Parts: sequence; structure tokens; C-alpha cells
Amino acid sequence: IQDDHKLSTEELEEKYGTSTSKGLSSARAAEILARDGPNSLTPPKATPEIVKFLKQMVGGFSILLWIGAAFSWISFGIQFAQGAESAFDNLYLGVVLALVVILTGIFAYYQEAKSTNIMASFSKMIPQQALVIRDAEKKELSADQLVVGDIVEIKGGDRIPADIRLIFTQGCKVDNSSLTGESEPQSRSCDFTHENPLETRNIAFYSTTCVEGTATGIVINTGDRTIIGRIASLASGVGNEKTPIAIEIEHFVFLVAGVAISIGVLFFVISVSMRYKFLDSIIFLIGIIVANVPEGLLATVTVSLSLTAKRMAKKNCLVKNLEAVETLGSTSIICSDKTGTLTQNRMTVAHLWFDDQIYSADTSEDQTTQPFDQSSQTWIALSKIVTLCNRAEFRPGQENLPIMKRVVVGDASETALLKFAEVVLGDVMDIRARNKKVAEIPFNSTNKFQLSIHETDDPNDKRFLLVMKGAPERILERCSTIMINGKEEPLDSEKAEAFQTAYMELGGLGERVLGFCHLYLPENEFPDTYPFDTDSMNFPTSNLCFVGLLSMIDPPRSTVPDAVSKCRSAGIKVIMVTGDHPITAKAIAKSVGIVSATSETVEDIAKRLNVPVEQVDRRQATAAVVNGMELKDMSLQQLDEILCNHSEIVFARTSPQQKLIIVEGCQRQGAVVAVTGDGVNDSPALKKADIGIAMGIAGSDAAKNAADMVLLDDNFASIVTGVEEGRLIFDNLKKTIAYTLTKNIAELCPFLIYIIASIPMPIGTITILFIDLGTDIIPSVALAYEKAESDIMNRRPRNKRKDRLVNEQLAVYSYLHIGIMQSVGAFVTYFTVYAEQGFLPSTLLGARVYWESNTINDFEDSYGQEWTKYQRMYLQWTGYTAFFVSITIQQVADLIIRKTRRNSIFQQGLFRNKVIWVGIFSQIGIALILTYGLGHVTALNFTPLRFQYWFVAVPFAILIWVYDEVRKLFIRRYPGSWWDKNMYY
Amino acid sequence: GLILLFYLVFYGFLAALFTFTMWVMLQTLSSDIPKYRDRIASPGLMISPKPDTALEFYFNKSDSQSYAEYVSTLRQFLETYDDSKQAQNIDCTPGKVFDQNDEAVKKACRFNLSELGQCSGKEDKTFGYSKGTPCVLVKMNRIIGLKPEGEPYIQCSPKEEGTVQINYFPPGGLIDLMYFPYYGKSLHAHYLQPLVAVQLAINSNSTKEETTIECKILGSPNLKNEDDRDKFLGRIAFKVQMTE
Repeated sequence: IQDDHKLSTEELEEKYGTSTSKGLSSARAAEILARDGPNSLTPPKATPEIVKFLKQMVGGFSILLWIGAAFSWISFGIQFAQGAESAFDNLYLGVVLALVVILTGIFAYYQEAKSTNIMASFSKMIPQQALVIRDAEKKELSADQLVVGDIVEIKGGDRIPADIRLIFTQGCKVDNSSLTGESEPQSRSCDFTHENPLETRNIAFYSTTCVEGTATGIVINTGDRTIIGRIASLASGVGNEKTPIAIEIEHFVFLVAGVAISIGVLFFVISVSMRYKFLDSIIFLIGIIVANVPEGLLATVTVSLSLTAKRMAKKNCLVKNLEAVETLGSTSIICSDKTGTLTQNRMTVAHLWFDDQIYSADTSEDQTTQPFDQSSQTWIALSKIVTLCNRAEFRPGQENLPIMKRVVVGDASETALLKFAEVVLGDVMDIRARNKKVAEIPFNSTNKFQLSIHETDDPNDKRFLLVMKGAPERILERCSTIMINGKEEPLDSEKAEAFQTAYMELGGLGERVLGFCHLYLPENEFPDTYPFDTDSMNFPTSNLCFVGLLSMIDPPRSTVPDAVSKCRSAGIKVIMVTGDHPITAKAIAKSVGIVSATSETVEDIAKRLNVPVEQVDRRQATAAVVNGMELKDMSLQQLDEILCNHSEIVFARTSPQQKLIIVEGCQRQGAVVAVTGDGVNDSPALKKADIGIAMGIAGSDAAKNAADMVLLDDNFASIVTGVEEGRLIFDNLKKTIAYTLTKNIAELCPFLIYIIASIPMPIGTITILFIDLGTDIIPSVALAYEKAESDIMNRRPRNKRKDRLVNEQLAVYSYLHIGIMQSVGAFVTYFTVYAEQGFLPSTLLGARVYWESNTINDFEDSYGQEWTKYQRMYLQWTGYTAFFVSITIQQVADLIIRKTRRNSIFQQGLFRNKVIWVGIFSQIGIALILTYGLGHVTALNFTPLRFQYWFVAVPFAILIWVYDEVRKLFIRRYPGSWWDKNMYY
Repeated sequence: GLILLFYLVFYGFLAALFTFTMWVMLQTLSSDIPKYRDRIASPGLMISPKPDTALEFYFNKSDSQSYAEYVSTLRQFLETYDDSKQAQNIDCTPGKVFDQNDEAVKKACRFNLSELGQCSGKEDKTFGYSKGTPCVLVKMNRIIGLKPEGEPYIQCSPKEEGTVQINYFPPGGLIDLMYFPYYGKSLHAHYLQPLVAVQLAINSNSTKEETTIECKILGSPNLKNEDDRDKFLGRIAFKVQMTE
């Protein structure tokens, strides 16, 4: 890459035509800005809106409907040229079909745009400022105005505004975690320390943060040319996988379109060979296509998904891509970060050891007291050390906040101790004020301890108290006694052994352990005027009294263990991927249940059996802790073997790049993988994953851009609630589709029987559209509100190859069982209407040609009366209306039976889902409006219907309900039987 | 195997159910009159002969082949009106509605073919087609229970005045009330609906062109003839073109 890190300041000044003291001139900067463009990452290329829109216009069933519309217009053209009167019906039909496509297209586009907008608003940020030297003056500039050669100043807390070669630093440390995933701050200096520009200390990278200190540097890369920019463009190179629900819907559209086209063509051939006119045959074809295509369904699916997305957003899962809602439900492996996702992302005191005993502290998020035994004198001494030997302080003005939420100035361990002390003892600052500090040695890496000397708050005790904390072994070295139950006892080997055991035990829990000791300085040697000097250390620092140990950890979030066990019962494998140390990682994994209490790794077994690791049968170990270094040397087969053979896996010390390898490994197992991430370099893994989950709080913009979902509270438990919602929506979509497909048969049969038996047309194409896009829409959305039938978190994730959204059973049961029953019911109504007006079924059979002839105006009915063409047409429309009403009434029954697939309706509760009732009332309401309100608009082909015809199909509706209850009863009674296999969808 | 059996039983059951409900429904119907007659409150008009494709007559009066079909249709149509077929029909009182609600057997009124005069086919076997004065029979659709009020008659007029002279049989195009009401096919088996013959004498100077003729039923307040949507309700239009 570049070698700017090797150059001297002078060479740099020359290379970039700048001066470290004066900076660039404004004119020069403007020139470079014009050449290089603004200093910002090019957002991933968005699909042009018009392309998105057109995609909606031709996707799914739209093509079929366009073909239908085209046919309508063609036959209009031909008939119009022939001067036929009915030509305009075809024109209107074509227009209606085109309108349907356009409206549903607009709707789908609008839905998508809406969900994208949520994201867009989310990712918008406050523009970043940078302090720049230009024209020999310091200026605040918007960071995107920076150019190569600018001299910028940064200080602790700033985000680095571009790639910067440092030329002056003072205690500067940067957090490169967004780049490398390493969370330890790294110090920065002006020295060239490494050949690799990524490793050298004198370059600070764009989008990383300066943790402390100050620095000045020359901008060497801006915008997409920065290291981060290059990674981000790498991420956009990783292909997006199709979501499982997209595949399912494609499969479903393919299935239905296949049925529509084959039935259409079959009957086209039949009607041509039955000597129907070619034009008529084409019109039949259109009718069959319209009857077969569930026009409203794709819109319904979109609405259902966005309802779920809204529900999930309430539960802190913000879904960027609607289809990801369901992907989450079919997830079989979750690769989760540790810090912040599984843990609270703050150090907290977890254990104490004093009086030769380990005490556990409360590590939950909202602790207000600590339950351990605080009666011992040793604890009083220990608490004093914890309180006094601590430099961390609360920021002022937070008295009303809970202690755990207050902001602290100080490092992570000191913060943990301060909060712990505040919880247990109350006002720490007051205690410190009463025990005035007279001298202090801050922690440094050579001493590995921190020491301070205080006056005591006991007015009768004039002694000074020396308190010290630090690495336990170093503290112990300096002690000669140990406090047990408030009494100092000599530190013999037995006591030292006890210390070692406790230290090992706490360390084995992955916790950071600190030792505490004190010494009351004798009053005679150290009078209150004694000049303490921390440089010469004119006070004792050995032969102290050891008081106890405290261990700290970033504890798991309290909701996580429960969520992990839910995942377990839901058959979802949780893999922890962290940059942390293996011991800490494993400890957290154990405490949240990712590694269960009883399971062992290969190393554990080796230790237990006391044999070398190589001799252990790897298959016996259920758990595995894989180090990033091991992973680096592994072949793909070895990784696959690990992923396959172990059910509980922790990847520790991994770099974010390795995350991608792990994700790909999981996908090779056929799993649907969810991955969490926050750093910029997580974005390739987030993109590669079936569902990438970015952290809303800790996450970088690049991660949020690459992800399909954003976790607003960074909490693992939210993922699990998301999974639950995702599974529920899959079940409910099944119900919705089953409901919608059913009436297609009742819409199709009229055409088939019309062609074969030559009866007057039972239902019109436009009437069909009124069912598909009118009465049926709200009920099918209502099914999305249905509660789960059983605990959906107790079954395995669906197998994306086997468990289809629309399987054979669903199609067969909807089409050939309920659909046929509906058709029978509707035909009974149809024949009743005709018979009661004078046309008995025997007269209707074969009557089509004469019935439809415009010149026959004395068509004789079964009673000898004669009908004009228009009188017959009006009767035909009454037939349409009756057929329509019958389908609507039976769809009410269909809606009720679709509430459950296995349980009885009475188990599920008829009234629990109120929206279903909204659906039923809307369905009947719309039908009433169409029949009686619009019954006089001839173009719509509805007529006011005699009220009793609404009830003809009711017995059939009841039959549908009873039949389905029987079906479910047998399924529950005889699981695995022939019935279960064929009837459960 | 099991699946086939299942569907056999299932569809067998559905077919039986369908048949049964249809049977029950049909049992509720009377065989004499339909349950509802509201869809045909007013009758349509129709003509005979009725050309196949559209209501358009094209013929050459000197070419008997060109009108042979019209003639044979008329002949066939009037067969049922033959005196021999009307033996059991009675002579009714003209000008009065013939109510026979209480009668078990409804009698049909005799319609004498002679009333159709020159269009009866008795004197002129070609119904005037050979002479260039073609006959068209106008009839009113049968509707059970319909009792026309007033004195209904058929009136025809060409679209352009003066192109055609029209003769009516019976004179004035009258439809006698005694043929009403109609009691339906099963009760009123021998019923013959009244006919009005229209003889068109097309002016020789306008023979080259098509003439549109519109016939309407007039003189009765309860017979509609001006419905916007139904072009055949109480009226009918047809075209005639005669060549020589």
C-alpha cells in the first residue's frame, strides 16, 4: 500500500505540499477537494427507484395478469373491428387487470419504501467535526471537507476523521476495535514501528476513536481510499443471499402460476377442440388465469410481514429488509458476539474472597443491595480499602440516577469497584472526604499495584492507614499477615495455599482478580505531620496485612441465560464468537448456558482422565473452545468437523475476518445462520450471513448498513424474541396462503363447468377480482395476528429444503378438499337462483350458445316463458352475485378453520384473535355494500340479491368447519398415521 | 391406493350431498309456475322469421332461393297455428282478459290463421316475398300471468319516413286481450300466443338501400317499450333490403 509511515515529517510535508505549522491554504484545499471528492464513504449503490418500482410491476403474478390484460385488449381489438356489441367488456377487463397489477405494484413498492425509510432515518448521523489547521489558523470544519495534506488535531473522545499519519502525540491511545476487533486501546506515537501500515504506531485510521491523549497528524487518505473505505467496498462485494421466505414465495408463485397456466392451456385446447370460437377460447383462458391467481396474496404477505416487523421493532429488533423477519424464524445457528450482546459490557464485581471463603456478589443490571454476609470485621477493612484505594469518581449531577446507570470517570475496574462500594456502603465520596488522602501512587505496569495513604475518620485514632490493591500475587508478596475474622494472623504456608486455591478458582471463572491489603502506620513513627514522599517511598510497602480478593467480570445480561435455553429447546445452536481470552469466553459461555454445566471440552476430558489431549476421542466432547490461532491453521474440513461434531462451540481470540470463515462453515452445514456484529470489519460476515444483526448502540454505521436487522438494545434476548416472531409469521403465512388458495377453486370451477357443460356463466371475471382484492384481503391479513398453536420455541427450526411454505398437503387440502366443497356450495346457490326464476338445471345444460346470443330475444325457460337477452343477462349477474355471496359466506368458515392447523378451534379460542372478527365483519360488510349498495352499477355486474340466497351456502360452510375439525381430531389422535401425513399442512 | 379410495369416498359423498340438496331445492318448486317472476315484469318483442346472424333480411324477389329459408321458417312457425292443431281450442270473447284461475284445466283460445290475411301463407305461399311485399310476424314474449292493460297494438315504422308502406294483420296491429293471461307450459299446454303480421311494401325507389324498421307495442300502460338497456323490451328493430 502506502509507505507514508516510513517517511519523515519533512518528506511528508513535501509529498503533500503542506506545512505542519501552517497547514494547507484554503485555495489549495479546495483544489484537492475538487479532485478527490468529499471525505466520506460512498454509500452502497442503491437500486434506482424506478427500477425498484418496475420490479414490483413485473414480479410475482404480475406477468400472468399482464398477459391476461394483453389478451383482453387483443380480443377487444378483434371484436371491435368486427363490430360486436360486447367488445367493450374485454376492454374494461383489460383495464381492470392492468389496474390491479399497477395498484398492487404501487402498494408493494410503498411498503418496501416505508420499511427502507425507517432504516434511512436511523442511519442518518450528526455530521462530524474536525479541528484543522488551514491558512495558519485553527478551524472547525465538517469532517467531509478534509483533504489529503490537511493538518488535523485530535483529542481523547474524538473519532479519527480520516487516515492520519501522526506527527505529534501526547499519551495518545486509540480504540481500533471497529477495524481489528481488538478491544484493548492501543497507544500511538510518531515512530515508525512496523513495515505493515496496519501495524505501525504512527498511523491512526478513519472511524476509529481516540480514547485518551492528544495528537496532531497529516491526512494521508480520505473517503473511500481509507483503509475502512476499502473494507466497506469489500463488503459490498460479498453477494447477498436470497432470503428463505423469498425462495418460498418464489416457489409458491411458480406452483400457482404452473397450475394456472397448465389448466388454462388445457382448457384452451379443450375449448378449441369443442369448436368454441378461437376468441372465446382466449377469453376463457383469461378467466382461468384470473381465477387461479391470488391477486391480493402478495400484498397480504407484505402487510403481514410488515406487521410482524412493527411488532419486532417494539421488541427492539429493527428489521431493514421485510423478508428478514421470517429468516430470523428459520435460523438454526446464531453466531453471537460476547461483549455487549451476551454481557452487560461493563465490569462488575462478581466474587469476593475473605475470611478464607468465597462470596458471590449480585451482578444483575439493577442491583441496589448486595446479599452476601457483611458482618465480618474483615469485610469492614476490605470495604475501606475498596473505597479509598480508588481514583474513579462519579460525574457530578447524577444523584437521581440509579447507581448502575451513573457515568464514572475512571477505568473499567475502578468503575466496577466504585459502583460496588457505592451500592454496599452508600455515599463513597463522603467516606473518602472523611478519610482524607495524604499520598498516592497510581497504578503502573511495572509496580502492578496502586497505593494510597489516608487519615482515618476515627478522631481517637491518629494513625495513618495505608491501603493497596493490585495483582494478587504481587500484593501477597508484600504481605506477612492475613486478616481472618477481623484479626491479623501470620501468613503461613497453609494460608498461602488457601489464597492460591481461591485465586485459581476465581481466575478459572474468567474473572479479573485484584488483591487488597492494608497497614495502619504506627503513630509514633508516622506523626500526623509526616511528609509522605511517593517518589522515595518513605513508608513501608512490605509486611502488610492481606485482607482479601475481589474478582470482576463483564457479567452476562440477566435475560440471556433464559434466552439461550429457549434457543436450545428451539433447536438453535448458539455459537459464541469473541475476541476475548478463551478462559473468560468459556466462563461466560458456561454462565449463560451456551456451554452447559455438564458438558466437557476435549481439554476437560484430557484433564479428567489425565491423558494427553491427543488421545481423547474428539467425539466424546460435546463442547469445544476454539482459539483464533488454531482456527487460522485449520483446513475447511477440520472446521466443518468441529461445527458438525460439537453442539456447544466457543470461538475465542478470533479476528472479525475469521467470523466470515465461521459463517461460511455453518452455511456449508446447510444451516440458516444469524450473525451479530458491530465493527466495520464485521460487515462482510454480516452480509454473508443469512441474517446479519448489527448492534444499535455499539454498532458502527458500516455494520448497520450491511446488516438485515438492527438490535436496538444490543441484547441477545431480543434476537430470541425475534426468532419467535419469525416462526409465528411463517406459520401464519401458511394459514393465510391456505385461506387464499381455497377459494381459487371455487372461482375456477365455474369456468371449467361453463366450458364443459355449456351452462350460463356462473361468475364473472370482475366479480372474482372483487373477492380476491375486496372481501378476502382483510381476513387474510387478520390471520397474521393469530397466536401460536403450541410453543413454537419447542420445535426444531424448519428445514429449508423440506418444510416448504406451500407444501403438497397444503395445496391439495386447499384445492381438492375445502375448495371443492366451496364450489359445491356455490353451485347449489347458483342453481337455486336460476331454478327459482324459471330455469331448471335441465334447461341450463348446453344452453350457453343460445343463452349468449344477442339476436335471440325469446329464449324459453322451463315454464314456457320467454326472455330477452338483457333479461337473461340480468339474471346471469344475479347468478354472479349469488355465487359471490356463497363464496364469501364459505370463506368465513374457511377463515375460522384456518386459525389452527392441528388444534381444535375451541382449544385455540374462537374469540382470542379479535382481528379475525374484524376480518369476518369486513368481509360480510363489503359483500353487503357490493350487492346492495353498488347493485345498480351495471359495469360491476352485481345485482341486489334476495336475502335468503345468503343462507343457501351456510350448511356447506358448517360442513367445512365440521370436516376440518374431524381432520384435526384425527391428526391429533393418530400422529404419524396415513391421515396425519396426508392431511397436515 | 388408499388415496384413491379416500377421494372416491370423499367425492362420492360430495356428489351425493350435491344431488340431495339439489333434489330438496327442486322439491320446493312448483312444476306449474316459477317461484319468482320479477325479472320478467314486461315482455320483449320478437319477430319470425329470424335470420341466423342478425336481424337483417336480404333477398331478391325474383330469386326464390334467396328467400326460401324465410318462407320455410314462417311455414314451420305457423304449423302450430294450423286449424287441425287447434281442434281442442275454444273461441274466447274478444277484447276481454280470459281469466281461468279457478279452472283445473286451462283452455287455450283459438287464433285463426285467417286473421293474418295475406300473411297467413294460405293464398300466397311465399308470404309476399316473391311480390316484393315480405311478411314478418311480430310476437310478444310469453310471460306467465301477464295481463296487458288497455288495448295493446303493434306499430311499426321505418327509420326514414316514406320508404316503406306497412300493412298490419289483424288490422291496426291489435293484440287481443283474450289471449291473456298465460298459465305456463304444463297447465296451458295448447296455448298459442297472438301474432301480428306486418307486411312491408318497400317503395321501388328505395330498394337499393337498407331500411331499418322499428316495431313497438303501444296502447298498454303496463307494457314497457322504452327501456334504455333492453333494446327488445316491448320493441324490436330489424333491417330489410330487397333487390330486384
